[in-house]
Amino acid sequence: MRWTYIKPRLVLLGLVWLFSVFAFDPLLKWAMIKGLEKAAKARVEISSVKTTFLHPSLVINGLTVADSSQKYTNLVQFSRLELSAEGAPLLEKKFVVDKGSLTGLRFGTPRKTSGQLLFSRPEPPSPMVKKAQEQAKALAAASADNLTSRFKADYKVAPGDLESVKLAKQLEENYKKDYADIVGRVDGKAYQADLDALKARYDKAKAEKNFLKRARDYAETAKDAKKLTDRFNKDSKDAEAALAREKDGFKALDEARRRDQEAVMAKMKLPSLDSRSLGEALAGPVAAQKAATVMKWLALARRYMPASAGPTKTPARRGRVVHFPGGRAYPTLLVRELRLTGELGRQDPLAYSGTVEGLTTQPQVYGKPTVASISGAKGARRLDFKFILDGRDNIFVTDSNLSYTGMPVAGLQLGSPSSLGVDVSGGSGSFQADLRTEGDKVDGKAQVLLSGAKFLTQAGGIAAGPLGAAVDSAFSGLSSAVIQADVSGTVSDPRLAVRTNLADALSKAFSRALGAQARAAQDAARAKVDAALKPYQDRLKKLASDSQSDLESRLKSESETLKKGTGYFY
Amino acid sequence: MNPLAILRKFIKGLTSDTAPAQIGAGIALGFLLGLMPKATLTAQILLIAVMASRVNIPMAMLTALGVSLLNPLLDKVTDPIGYAILTAQSLRPLWTRLYNMPIVPWTGFNDTVVTGGLAFGAALLAPVYLAGRRFGVLYNERFRDRLIGSRAIKAVKASWLLDWYFKEGA
Repeated sequence: MRWTYIKPRLVLLGLVWLFSVFAFDPLLKWAMIKGLEKAAKARVEISSVKTTFLHPSLVINGLTVADSSQKYTNLVQFSRLELSAEGAPLLEKKFVVDKGSLTGLRFGTPRKTSGQLLFSRPEPPSPMVKKAQEQAKALAAASADNLTSRFKADYKVAPGDLESVKLAKQLEENYKKDYADIVGRVDGKAYQADLDALKARYDKAKAEKNFLKRARDYAETAKDAKKLTDRFNKDSKDAEAALAREKDGFKALDEARRRDQEAVMAKMKLPSLDSRSLGEALAGPVAAQKAATVMKWLALARRYMPASAGPTKTPARRGRVVHFPGGRAYPTLLVRELRLTGELGRQDPLAYSGTVEGLTTQPQVYGKPTVASISGAKGARRLDFKFILDGRDNIFVTDSNLSYTGMPVAGLQLGSPSSLGVDVSGGSGSFQADLRTEGDKVDGKAQVLLSGAKFLTQAGGIAAGPLGAAVDSAFSGLSSAVIQADVSGTVSDPRLAVRTNLADALSKAFSRALGAQARAAQDAARAKVDAALKPYQDRLKKLASDSQSDLESRLKSESETLKKGTGYFY
Repeated sequence: MNPLAILRKFIKGLTSDTAPAQIGAGIALGFLLGLMPKATLTAQILLIAVMASRVNIPMAMLTALGVSLLNPLLDKVTDPIGYAILTAQSLRPLWTRLYNMPIVPWTGFNDTVVTGGLAFGAALLAPVYLAGRRFGVLYNERFRDRLIGSRAIKAVKASWLLDWYFKEGA
């Protein structure tokens, strides 16, 4: 026996075995933690990772991912993930799982230690959340005492600082540009020159003796005449679209004017009696926080499940990975069916179960959409969630629907405790939400119905007095409420509109307590904004009306000229 | 290639394979190896090539380590190069074929820094080799004997584990 040859190789085999048994899983766990921490920008913990090689499998126990914007809250956690990979795709560096299971999935759970990474700052709240929080804090301005002293008649509104004035200037600029562009295109001279050229070709064809050539020239002239008509029709449509855009611009200007008025009132510490603004200040922070979390998940899905018909690229630890899916290729990562169970809510959680089918990083290669279906029931409570993600074409489309009825209401806080907050407890609630995204566009609606609940005000920002008493009495008589939210805009820059009947109660309380004095002060503040905006708004309106009538007469005259001129060739 | 074999070759390389051409080749291969992300088959193949050829191993390893430390900067150069190569329309059929073959995807060829690093490294291979060869002359003249006589190297060479492994693995 050649022991000198065998012994070193046995040692090597032993080292490989020791590595795979003792070092591979800890190393993989470390790599997973680092990779997930980079993606989540927050601390990630994993209890253990277990892999097997002969029948390739991966088991992850006890994973928690902290929320980068709230350091004592987990974004997500689960107890156990089991995946068994197919062998053949592994040779192509593709992880394909036929069936997997995920248990103990929970969202938004509290954590004892900070989830913030060393040397990193907590992620700032999204602009949408920040705006909602500022609106809620501004409710403190509603303090009734010394209202008259706070309204200063000599308070000056600088037009340059107003959002509406900036928008009016921008609209004017855009309008001039659009108008010049359209006028340039529907210029009669250009059409006339083309018509003359067509007529010359027609006359030339008429003089042609060769019958076949003449027929061909006639046909070509008629074809070009049709092209000219099509061009005109397109230009007309563009002109109409520009006019429609202008109308939308006026709507946006009106919205900006309303926001400016609110801002001026807030600066002058005048209370807003407008139900819409009060609704946004009350329910906005909660709705914005939830919407921001949903947008965060959608942005993650878009990043790791990109929609594309051609080669895609995904970020790698170093550089970028470019994918080249072929005809019968496997996706880089695919879980055909993942069964999951979890719990929703912190106190008396609702257990749910469901499946996620076609979870993949390359939807275009897999060729089927990702479909998630989750449900749960306990007593009067019922949860149903359906989610479809389709990234097979170039546009990433998601459709989701969530219904949660009979949910217990506890610890729901509206508004801002430092300003004017409302604690909702007891009773039950139902939540319905529909959300659709197409590319970057978001369109969604959500509604919460609260019944049998107690509404306690936390009027820290409101001085004791008639206003505080009016607010308390308005809310003490309430036992139900409706909160509705609409999400629009884009995934990266969502816009939220919130309405609630609680705001009506608040508005009435404000009106009752502050009465005519507040309304007069508000009218004065609004008048200041209107006066600052007026010259710009008038100029824009005049420009729009002049150019609209000019454009319409130009289009009409050119349409007649063309109809007359091209009819000649048919 | 196991870690003990690499260590054995490293120690041996301090005293043997020190011709300027071998040092130059070691530095050139180490440069290429250093550019690669290490968790790819390409890096492992390059490592085996370094170990299997008669280049100077310590220089290759030290160069690979040095270049690896500079990767955050070098990636800014290799990433766009790799992306340009990987997204070239004329090469798309080739990449698609390789991408869907067994084993080949483990080379990480579709990572921009692997392909870019290979292209960048190949372009600079000759200049790095020539510079490395000049350094080899300098190393032999000034540092080689001093290094062999150093306490650290003597201590490592005198350890019973390496002594046993040198003899057994010979």
